[in-house]
Amino acid sequence: MLRLFFTRLLAVIPLMFFVGTVVFFLVQLNPVDPTAALLGDDASLESIAQKRAELGLDKPLVTQYTTWLGSAIKGDLGNSWFTGEAVTAELARRARVTFSVVFGSLLIAIALGVSLGVVAAVKSGRWQDRLVTVVSSLGIAVPNFWLALVLAAVFAVQLGWFPAIWTKARTESVGGWLFTILLPCIALGMASSAAIARQTRSAMIGVLQQDYIRTALSKGLPVRRVITAHALRNAAIPVVSLVGFQLSALIGGAIFVEFIFNLPGLGTAGVDSVLRKNTPVTLGFVMITTFVVVLANILLDMAYAWLNPKVRKN
Amino acid sequence: MVEPTTLDSQVSLEDVAPDSQETEESLGGGQRFRRRLFRNRVAMTAGGFLLLLIAVSLIAPWLTSHDPNQATNFADFHEPAFSEYLLGTDAVGRDIYTRILFGGRYALGAGLIATGLALAIGIPLGLTIGYFRGWADRIIMRFVETVVAIPAVVLAIAIIAAVGSGLVNAMIAIGLVYSMIITRLTRAQVFAAREELYVDGAIAAGANSNRIMFRHILPNIAPALIVQTTLLFAQAVLAEAALSFLGLGASPDQASWGRMLDNARTNINTTIWPAFPPGIAIFATVVSFNVLGDGLRDAFGREARGGRIGIGDVEKAKQTDSNTPDSSALVSVRDLSVRFPRPGTTDDITVVSNVNFDIAPGEIMALVGESGSGKSISALSLLGMVPDPGRAAASAIMLEGQELTDLDFDELRSIRGKKIGLISQEPMAALNPAHTVGRQIIEPIRYHYGTSHADARKKALELMRKVGIPNPENRIDSYPHQFSGGMAQRVVIAMALSCEPSLLIADEPTTALDVTVQGQVLDVIGDLSRELGVAVLLITHDLGVVADLASRVAVMYAGEIVETGKLTDVFHNPQHPYTEGLIKAIPRNESRLGTLPTIDGVVPPPWEWPVGCHFAPRCPYATDDCRRGPVDLTPSGLSITRCIRASELQLAGVGADRLEIGATPAPASSEEGAE
Repeated sequence: MLRLFFTRLLAVIPLMFFVGTVVFFLVQLNPVDPTAALLGDDASLESIAQKRAELGLDKPLVTQYTTWLGSAIKGDLGNSWFTGEAVTAELARRARVTFSVVFGSLLIAIALGVSLGVVAAVKSGRWQDRLVTVVSSLGIAVPNFWLALVLAAVFAVQLGWFPAIWTKARTESVGGWLFTILLPCIALGMASSAAIARQTRSAMIGVLQQDYIRTALSKGLPVRRVITAHALRNAAIPVVSLVGFQLSALIGGAIFVEFIFNLPGLGTAGVDSVLRKNTPVTLGFVMITTFVVVLANILLDMAYAWLNPKVRKN
Repeated sequence: MVEPTTLDSQVSLEDVAPDSQETEESLGGGQRFRRRLFRNRVAMTAGGFLLLLIAVSLIAPWLTSHDPNQATNFADFHEPAFSEYLLGTDAVGRDIYTRILFGGRYALGAGLIATGLALAIGIPLGLTIGYFRGWADRIIMRFVETVVAIPAVVLAIAIIAAVGSGLVNAMIAIGLVYSMIITRLTRAQVFAAREELYVDGAIAAGANSNRIMFRHILPNIAPALIVQTTLLFAQAVLAEAALSFLGLGASPDQASWGRMLDNARTNINTTIWPAFPPGIAIFATVVSFNVLGDGLRDAFGREARGGRIGIGDVEKAKQTDSNTPDSSALVSVRDLSVRFPRPGTTDDITVVSNVNFDIAPGEIMALVGESGSGKSISALSLLGMVPDPGRAAASAIMLEGQELTDLDFDELRSIRGKKIGLISQEPMAALNPAHTVGRQIIEPIRYHYGTSHADARKKALELMRKVGIPNPENRIDSYPHQFSGGMAQRVVIAMALSCEPSLLIADEPTTALDVTVQGQVLDVIGDLSRELGVAVLLITHDLGVVADLASRVAVMYAGEIVETGKLTDVFHNPQHPYTEGLIKAIPRNESRLGTLPTIDGVVPPPWEWPVGCHFAPRCPYATDDCRRGPVDLTPSGLSITRCIRASELQLAGVGADRLEIGATPAPASSEEGAE
């Protein structure tokens, strides 16, 4: 199992190289000129030329690429063209915010989604099932940025129960931190909860029809044990695949939630870097996101193998 | 669409179950699809809403007197709804209602661009790599899998970074990302379709690759693509709103719903109202596409069956006549009946009626009949496991002097597994694929007796040895898929015996197994029954299986026991024409007789069972008297039978020239030995 993990991890290296290279050249197509934004509209030609030389933009594209790649291999992703801060330092700081929101919403999504899905399947055809089915069909269609907007407007702006502005001081204690990310997590996790509930329900319904559930019942086991040890264990297999997709969706969705709740996360930096052509930050943003998603998928594949003995050997 | 009443497939009662698919199968595919779709009211409502949205978007300028981008009166900012302005105005005085109408254009247009591009790239690419496979397939799929794993929004932002922002650019970016999903789906479908015979047929007919891909494969994989496209359209509408909200999509002079939400966001401290109309518009559109997609999937696919843990216990019924249970028997069943609600009606149909039987301690009794006769469900009643929505009632089910009727689920748990073990038809399906076989054998021992894990494991090893699994120490931690069918059935037998029950229910224990191992598994059951003194209720449709195992037999037809007696008596002197038919159908003599005789027809569905003798429609000896009214069980010859002509008919049993009961090995293994 551990060997599988490390061989899969090794395969990430060429992928990161590939993603970095593609995005590097893709970004060059962006017509925006960062120096104009940096120096203002009335900057002199000399100062623009000086700035371009400073950023290394006067060199041929291939040289720019090899320079970037050379330091990227050493773990240096360059400095932000606008703030001058090291990209790794800035993104590491912001990743903390983004991934606590993503992780929090994933927890909400799994806890809520799986329990609702199980209830709906066990009570299939009854009112509990119909309620979960309707709520999850609707919930899956609620845009996270709209929900975030409404939650922010109602609970932060109008009622004032939650902070509307992110402050460093407030986030220094664990309680304050949880309090700050609670609304973003709910906004982000809601659609995923609905998706996971739907998947869990249909997987559970499929599993509950299997003969081995009848076998488990024929042994005289209580319903709770039949559901947890026999049904859920098997129903979890397709749910785990879905969690992989959802994680990816949550990382994407985090951009919007950060934007609305003014959280200094990766997404805001990424979007801002694209709009202003802050190339080092764009590259760092795409690479960190890719890395985390791929890493999470490796972990999920391992969970998948653990749940499903049939694939363990391959 | 869950059918309100479907009998569970597990109980091999499908034939009894009125299967709505049967009748629908006779309709053409397209007709069936349309009927199912039109019957799905929710999907039809969603489809109607979307048609309305398309119409409204097309004629938007004629539905309003305001301009979507210009305030009619600049002083009218943040006007409330239902005033002069139907949905109020935004921060710069633009009419929200008008902007919502025009927003539909951007949402639908964006969805068309994104899904259109995704299909245009994904279908040819997926068809090609799926059809030709090889290295191109491997490289492209590697790429596709990676791209699909990355958040779509992040990828779209990266592409927008290159091509610049704007509604069309943003949707091209989204379309490129979605084309990966379509490629993957198309390829997977082609892989499956290539296995199908129709592709071979087209190749044999000399069609070229293009023709096969687009004329033969594409129409067959279209349902999956249509469903996925509908769902992707919903995602595209969301993506348009999301990217416009970030300022990467629609420009400020395009009244996109996402743009409207962004405007609402900047004024959120003043009023929250302008966030609602565009939010609800996005939500309703996305829900409608999702629901329509789900409806299409249901209409294309097989209907889902209900799946709750649907088992019921047996109610206490009034005793008929002086039908008292036999206190000396291990199991004594009296007046057992099972009813199911009939789909589409409020009536119940009776699938089992007036079943009585006794099993003596250590005795092997066979319950024989074709599928649909009600034998499995009668046996499951003993465990209180009548599949939902069936309702069982009996005047008595006595097990070792304990009355089992009216016990609830939890009270019955001390019977299940502990007093009565169950062996089912398909060992691979009966074992949980996620747990080792050891764990599954140990579970009931620990559960019922609280035995320590080490002791229970020891006991499991001993049981595995007893049922003839070689090297149990090496096999106990294996998973079910690592066993052959015959070995898996031995595991199931070990599991059923783990708590030393006094009765085993063996429900068609060899039907799903290879002919070569059927005899061995039956031997294991017979030997262990004798060795451990466990009684067995053997359920089978094959009288041949019964021959050397059972000492008594009950023959069931259409929910009733039609003949019961000692095995030798029933075999040599059958009293019921149905028994005679079953004896003729024993596959023993097929080589000698040339063809295998069968009983004409099948067991009819329960609502077609006649008032008179249930077997009369298929009986070669039936007269008008037989059809007149219900027939009772009466003693005849050496057994008890449900036939009014029993005394006058000379039915053919197993003659001396055909077999000696109990002396020959099981038919399957004897066939093996002969060849």
